[in-house]
Amino acid sequence: MTRRKPADTPLDVLIVEDEVILAEELAWLVREAGCRDIGRAMSSAEAVALARSLTPDLALVDVHLRDGPTGIDAARAIVEDCGAVVLFMTANVRRLPQDLAGACGVIGKPYSETAVKTALVYLETCLRTGRAPGPPPLGLVLAPGFSDRWAARLSDAG
Amino acid sequence: MVITSPFQDDDPIVFANDAFLALTGYAEEEVVGRNCRFLQGPETDARAVERLRRSLAAGDELTVELLNYRKDGTTFWNCLSVSPVQDDSGRVIYFFGSQRDVTAEKQSEIALIQSSEGLRSDVAARTAELEAALAQKTALLHEIDHRVKNNLQLISSLMLLQSRRITDDKARQALKSMLERVTAVATVHRRLFQGDDSQRFDVADFVRDLAGDLALTAGRDDVLLDLDLQPAAIAAASAAPFALVANELISNALRHAYPAGRGGRITVRVAPDGEACLLSVTDAGLGLNGAAKGFGLTIVDLLCRQLHAELTTEQAGPGHRARVHVPATVN
Repeated sequence: MTRRKPADTPLDVLIVEDEVILAEELAWLVREAGCRDIGRAMSSAEAVALARSLTPDLALVDVHLRDGPTGIDAARAIVEDCGAVVLFMTANVRRLPQDLAGACGVIGKPYSETAVKTALVYLETCLRTGRAPGPPPLGLVLAPGFSDRWAARLSDAG
Repeated sequence: MVITSPFQDDDPIVFANDAFLALTGYAEEEVVGRNCRFLQGPETDARAVERLRRSLAAGDELTVELLNYRKDGTTFWNCLSVSPVQDDSGRVIYFFGSQRDVTAEKQSEIALIQSSEGLRSDVAARTAELEAALAQKTALLHEIDHRVKNNLQLISSLMLLQSRRITDDKARQALKSMLERVTAVATVHRRLFQGDDSQRFDVADFVRDLAGDLALTAGRDDVLLDLDLQPAAIAAASAAPFALVANELISNALRHAYPAGRGGRITVRVAPDGEACLLSVTDAGLGLNGAAKGFGLTIVDLLCRQLHAELTTEQAGPGHRARVHVPATVN
């Protein structure tokens, strides 16, 4: 379903956030976590277009974008069209659909610097190895589908 | 009243009294020899007529309310009672029909139904209005909650961005401390409105988030954070000041209890204590003694006064323990 990322190339991360200050700081955290900050989108159309052209490994998606509460549909499109893993970063955790629109998980706003960095490192391991290194870190909630997928690999490995 | 004869074709009237003629407006010769159905009109309830027809066919007694028409076309409510008259052998030889004009009663009955229907629709309309108003208020609350969270995120992102540009260690440390305080308040807002009771704030869940984040931020693998968290709640109004107190105590212990190269354990405990909530932070190192009484502890003193909380600090074997008793309700 999702691509397995080779160990020698950094993870490509797309930031979908309409608050530029938040996007700018998030980009720092992405780079500090050893990932590549490959693009920023402020609207859903921009997000889907960038995801198609840049094929990110991971997209960090806010629910409220410049064109309204469109992050959920954008996330679904990014997952289905581009095979990227989506992580929601939103102040509206309770408004997300049960299946998280195909996203792997959610970090609630306001998040801390540490929570984001720890989550990025955790997800990087999940994406590279197809298995979770352990339970998700504080602040990160995984979608049931993904915790099953990554936990199943963990038990396969014995 | 009328008498009809079921032996004749179509059960015609054979006798009508003056009261009947006065009620209906017809002359005697206009009614005798005719079936009573000439009193019916377009608004007459066909189901009532059908009941009457069946009852006559069966030779039963019946009382029924019918909307009837006078000769001049005006209507009246007729409470009609029909009884069969039998001969010695039990055969029905006549029907005896008595009419009573019940228009006035019927009208007030209809008016009552209409007014209660009006009342019902008024109540329904009012309920719909209130539900719409509630939905609007709920949407507004979500909107404000969303904005508060986003603005707190904006503040901490700005502080982080600025701290990346500061080269002076002391200035950067001060900014980091402020960022931790903002993060503590932000954590409160992330947790508010999560439970069923928006007036209560779950201290244990909050301290788990806060202490976990502070420990990860401190990045001290040699310092073990031991959380002993029992369910305890305080008033939502006390949540932010409490968060700042907890932040200072835990962050001070993480920063100062164990100098670099010397690890140890920090125990954070939350427990209900009568009408209060207890928070204690215990270390086996230098504790708060390791730090001069700085801005952080000044904040703790001030906020404890605001919370009517009792702060005690004591030596704990080697190490140090700070305890705060926060009243569970706002005084």
